Amino acid sequence: MQRVPRWSIHLALVVICFFMLIPFYWVLKTSVAGENIFAYPPSLVPKDPHPFYFIDVWYDIPFARFFLNSVVVVTIVIVLNLVFNAMAGYALTRDFAGKKAILFVLLSCMMIPFQATIIPAYLITAKMGLLNTYLGLALPEVSHIICILVFKANFEAVPKSLVEAARIDGVPEWKIVYKIMLPLSKPAIATNIVFSFVWTWNHFLWPLIIISDQDMQTLPLGLSYFLSYFEDTTGALYAFCVMVLAPTVFVFLMVQRQFIQGLTSGSTKG
Amino acid sequence: MDLLRALLFNRATLSLAALAVAVGLWNVYVAAHDDGLLAGRVVGPDGRPVAGAKVTLLQQILVGYERIESTTTDGRGAFRFTRHNQHKPVLLAEKDGVGASARTPVRLYFRNQNRVLAQPLRLDRN
Amino acid sequence: MLFRKRTREMLLVAFFLTPALLVFFVYRIVPLLWNLALSFAFWSPGGSYEFAGLEHYTEMFVYDDVFRTSFVNTLIYMASMPLAIVVALFVALLVNARIRGRNVYRTIVFLSYPMMPVAVGIIWQWLYNEKVGLINYVLQSAGVIDTPIAFLNSTALALPSVIVVGMWQILGFFMIILLTGLQSIPQSLYEAAAIDGAGPTKSFFRITLPLLRPSLFLCFVIGVISSFTSFDLVYVMTEGGPAHATELLITYIYKTAFGLSEFDYAGALTVVMFTLFLSITLILNRFSGGEAGKVDGAN
Repeated sequence: MQRVPRWSIHLALVVICFFMLIPFYWVLKTSVAGENIFAYPPSLVPKDPHPFYFIDVWYDIPFARFFLNSVVVVTIVIVLNLVFNAMAGYALTRDFAGKKAILFVLLSCMMIPFQATIIPAYLITAKMGLLNTYLGLALPEVSHIICILVFKANFEAVPKSLVEAARIDGVPEWKIVYKIMLPLSKPAIATNIVFSFVWTWNHFLWPLIIISDQDMQTLPLGLSYFLSYFEDTTGALYAFCVMVLAPTVFVFLMVQRQFIQGLTSGSTKG
Repeated sequence: MDLLRALLFNRATLSLAALAVAVGLWNVYVAAHDDGLLAGRVVGPDGRPVAGAKVTLLQQILVGYERIESTTTDGRGAFRFTRHNQHKPVLLAEKDGVGASARTPVRLYFRNQNRVLAQPLRLDRN
Repeated sequence: MLFRKRTREMLLVAFFLTPALLVFFVYRIVPLLWNLALSFAFWSPGGSYEFAGLEHYTEMFVYDDVFRTSFVNTLIYMASMPLAIVVALFVALLVNARIRGRNVYRTIVFLSYPMMPVAVGIIWQWLYNEKVGLINYVLQSAGVIDTPIAFLNSTALALPSVIVVGMWQILGFFMIILLTGLQSIPQSLYEAAAIDGAGPTKSFFRITLPLLRPSLFLCFVIGVISSFTSFDLVYVMTEGGPAHATELLITYIYKTAFGLSEFDYAGALTVVMFTLFLSITLILNRFSGGEAGKVDGAN
């Protein structure tokens, strides 16, 4: 790589970044556009930018309700994920009969895409009476195998001597996990939160299947209905997109390092 | 203590706090300005105030407009609505024998925002 | 005493494992078997099961044109992923160079990956818009085309258009995986190669590519998964149309089950999709030396 001049690398990267960012710019521009957005040629910068499309979204659809639904489901998923995955990950650091079998089952389950389970999953959820509920939305996602494995790897990296010493002192097992293991497992926790947030926040197919009550719609669902019903409020549609993407961008920029680390460690190291 | 400090003073918490403060201030502002007062004047084609003109508050719906309420201008051509409960009302003024105004959309920043229109409604259409 | 300790240990392990295992049992294993059962049965909601033998599979493979289209489309989607991987490799090499601001570049390229696909689909639909879309505007201004193209309404262009969006979204993820792979290659290898007089091109093909193989395969597996799971983009952008030109297996399954209430037939479709998915992943796994299997198929 030494012979390539730096400016050409920068140039290539600027071009690539331009293509990566242009859709974001375009939706942002449309969402504040003061001009007629159906006029040709389209204006490359917004004329007389105004926030009224956002205000329309706020009042014309129950945005706050959708947002709340999404937040509730994401919160349930994150909390249960942390608890369940940490527990399972910890159990898998112990030696017990049948551990190999259980690991095999988990690794096999990883090969079953969620999309291949939707029909029975829907029927099961209906049988449990959980259609149109937060719990029904959250349940299939309350544990992720990849995160269990991340926790397992992280716990195994905790010095054995520390745990042994605590055990000799008679510290109960749950306290060992809570007081010693977890504080040393921040990367795993971050990975878990990031995964759970991104997956659940963006999840569309599952809510689409089990939610029919408008009051229970999450943001992606609300967005897709807005797309099909409000064809004449195009500007507001893009404002809605911006409002839906903003939280992800916020989370991403806040925990960017953990975010990227988490996603890669989750998918590569396992 | 260190943990507490780390939890309290990181950019995520601080940004969220800043956001919460901004939202709080905005809500205070809204609460102080949401009497739903919408006032303005009606003038004729010649620019002189028109008394007794009927002003209708409309709401834009999918296939046209829906009437919300009406009022009549006073001697100086002024009108006012209270509690209009809209975030983008449309105003229409008309008077027999003089004409009607164009449908004038008023964009508000929140529902029931108080607003005094700077431009009068001009009855320049027949 | 020892026995009691053993028992307690077992109880603890069982207690800790139960919640997670229960979730996977109810939402992964049971559905898989249920699908299998459905695929050999006549059943509609509220009705009773009747044995159907291979009826559904016969219908699928012999008569169902939409199935064939969606099957081929899924394969096309999958087969186009290497293109995204090549681009991602190029980007990864660039941001791996010692240049100022490379973290900013990485962030920007990665930014599209965690975004909600439904919103991404809507945004790109707007970019593809026939009358006022940015893409048509740019192409027309540059004189590439005379009349605007209806990307998403053309049977020939709809699928490629959707795939481009899929690539745009996943590019950053590929880049990060390849970057991690690049960084794990010891610098000393390049130095040794340089001493031996190997140029950058030679060391790229002799060192970088071979050592990057696991990462490349991992990317491909993720690409394969995405071709089976890109429901959101297709649903929002084209709903599988026009004339099933963008129908993927997953969208067809959704329509069959939840649009037509043909749960049994959709179950058979799912079995085929899953088998295809599994065989491709296992084949890839073989090639990559077992590294690539460790991907969560969950999402």
